[in-house]
Amino acid sequence: MIATVVRLIVRRLLAAIPILVVVSALLFCVLRLLPVDPAAMSLPPTATIAEVEAKRREMGLDRPLPQQYLIWLADALHGDFGRSIAFRREAGSLVAATLPATIELAFCAMVFAAILGVGGGVLLFHVRGTLFEPAADLASVLLLSIPEFLWGLILLFVFGVVLHLLPFTGEVSPGLPQPHITGFLLLDSLLVGRFDVFLSACQHLILPAVALGLAFSPTIMRVLRSSLFDVYHEDYIQQARLRGLSEGHILLGHALKNASLPTLTLAGVQFGILFSGTLLVEVIYSYPGMGNLMVDAVRNADLPLIQAIGLTYCIVVLVINTVVDSLYVVLNPKLRVR
Amino acid sequence: MGGPVLRSLRSPRVLIASGMIFCIAFCAIFAGFIAPHDPGDQNLVSILTPPAWAGGGDPSYPLGTDSLGRCVLSRLIYGARTAMLVAVFASIGAMIIGSILAHISGYFGGAIDWIIGRMVDVWMSFPPVILSLILMVGLGVGLDKVILAIVLVDWTRFCRVLRSEVLVVTRHDYIAAARLLGFTHWQTIVREVLPATLPLLITLVSLEMAIAVVVEAILSFVGLGVGADQPAWGQMIADARQYVYQSPWNLLLPILAIFLTVAAFNLLGDGLRRTLDVRLAETGR
Repeated sequence: MIATVVRLIVRRLLAAIPILVVVSALLFCVLRLLPVDPAAMSLPPTATIAEVEAKRREMGLDRPLPQQYLIWLADALHGDFGRSIAFRREAGSLVAATLPATIELAFCAMVFAAILGVGGGVLLFHVRGTLFEPAADLASVLLLSIPEFLWGLILLFVFGVVLHLLPFTGEVSPGLPQPHITGFLLLDSLLVGRFDVFLSACQHLILPAVALGLAFSPTIMRVLRSSLFDVYHEDYIQQARLRGLSEGHILLGHALKNASLPTLTLAGVQFGILFSGTLLVEVIYSYPGMGNLMVDAVRNADLPLIQAIGLTYCIVVLVINTVVDSLYVVLNPKLRVR
Repeated sequence: MGGPVLRSLRSPRVLIASGMIFCIAFCAIFAGFIAPHDPGDQNLVSILTPPAWAGGGDPSYPLGTDSLGRCVLSRLIYGARTAMLVAVFASIGAMIIGSILAHISGYFGGAIDWIIGRMVDVWMSFPPVILSLILMVGLGVGLDKVILAIVLVDWTRFCRVLRSEVLVVTRHDYIAAARLLGFTHWQTIVREVLPATLPLLITLVSLEMAIAVVVEAILSFVGLGVGADQPAWGQMIADARQYVYQSPWNLLLPILAIFLTVAAFNLLGDGLRRTLDVRLAETGR
């Protein structure tokens, strides 16, 4: 069973490689349209024209575009994404240092979105045909109209500024040590046994994760409700009723399980979008993740770093989609038998 | 089309949403007459004043001033102009590119369908926020650049959903009949296929407008939007965030403006979807 899943995931990941190559080429071309000269930027302003020329040659900027791309791709395959111009460090190591924080945030947000989405979806379905239906429906449309960055600001304002309940800047309270083992702060703080750090990190994670989760739950709610509607047309629901099962048992024990499949596919797509949604939330909460790094890179027109981060986002999203796709096959008995 | 139009006009959702959009559009168009001040005028003597109803408010600045002493109400009104311009032009642009490709793809099928399909795949593997940020780096700031970036990112939303609709419509007998009558491909698409896909197209445009407003706000918030000289809601939020303790209203008002505008377009889209009865799959966001 596990071997099948692994084989499936590997096969799908291999199929994603051509897409990744095209994506990276596209990324490369778009960034070469920039009216900035990376060579001139990485030299002091007093550099002579000859020095800039030499630097250009050293960075390979005098070669034709396709050749430049191939050089970059070959380096990238070795894990070398070039040096960040603004930070004067390896772009790859900068990404590696910030990626775990972003993954942690995205994961917590997804868990929250799933809980809220499934709960809300069942509730939306439960009130069908009652007086609450139009109101619940309207509420779900309005909820859909609040993107993650508005939620971020609203929660920051209410719980951080007005109520002083939760911290809203950074990853842990200043002064606390940040242990580094795996890069995932929640995990590392537990590994070294610093529960105060763990607690502080949790507190700092709540607002951004909830903001992101709130923005993505309405879609899950709506899809779950509509697939519950579909499932209720099936014969086995009628059968279950005839067997005398309670409505609650039918909904939670039979219908929800089957309705969760299409919802899971959507949740996968959503997780990809949610992952890039971390960018705004990170900026709002000054959370030291990849999104904040991206915005810094963009403001500094830091080409190597933008390329590295952009590609990382694409890879993560592709991997998430692939894994969810495979999970779907595993969970759906109709697709499992080959 | 008479039936569906009348039907949608009777839907309370469509009516309320249209009313809201009309008000916002009115502000946007007549911003010069409504706004009490020039949005760029700085009054450095009275910075961060609260709204007129709060203690210490100045009646000549009904919603207070920002950190540079600019009138918040005027900036909100002019921000509506920016938001509406982006919403209208970006969604129409994305609609034109997306629907043309969708119709070609769905109608002709075969190799051309495959190529367009793969293009959509590649595009969609870029997270939209990341792609628009990268495009803005390449294009530079400005209202036209924001619109262009949104068009370049979001044409896929139209292409993907419309293509499957075109595929269904093209299988109908009346399309074959039109071809037998000697219609060219172009005539068949414009006169026979397009009217059938139009309801879906209109709904999608409405939803896209909501997305465009959000994207513009995000880009302006990050400082890669319409540029510093043009008032935009996202910019107001970014500015107010630094002075949230002194003047919370400056943060809340643009948030409210964005929410109302996005909600209006979403509500319109939802109402149209119901009344025009189109098979709109949940397309995510």
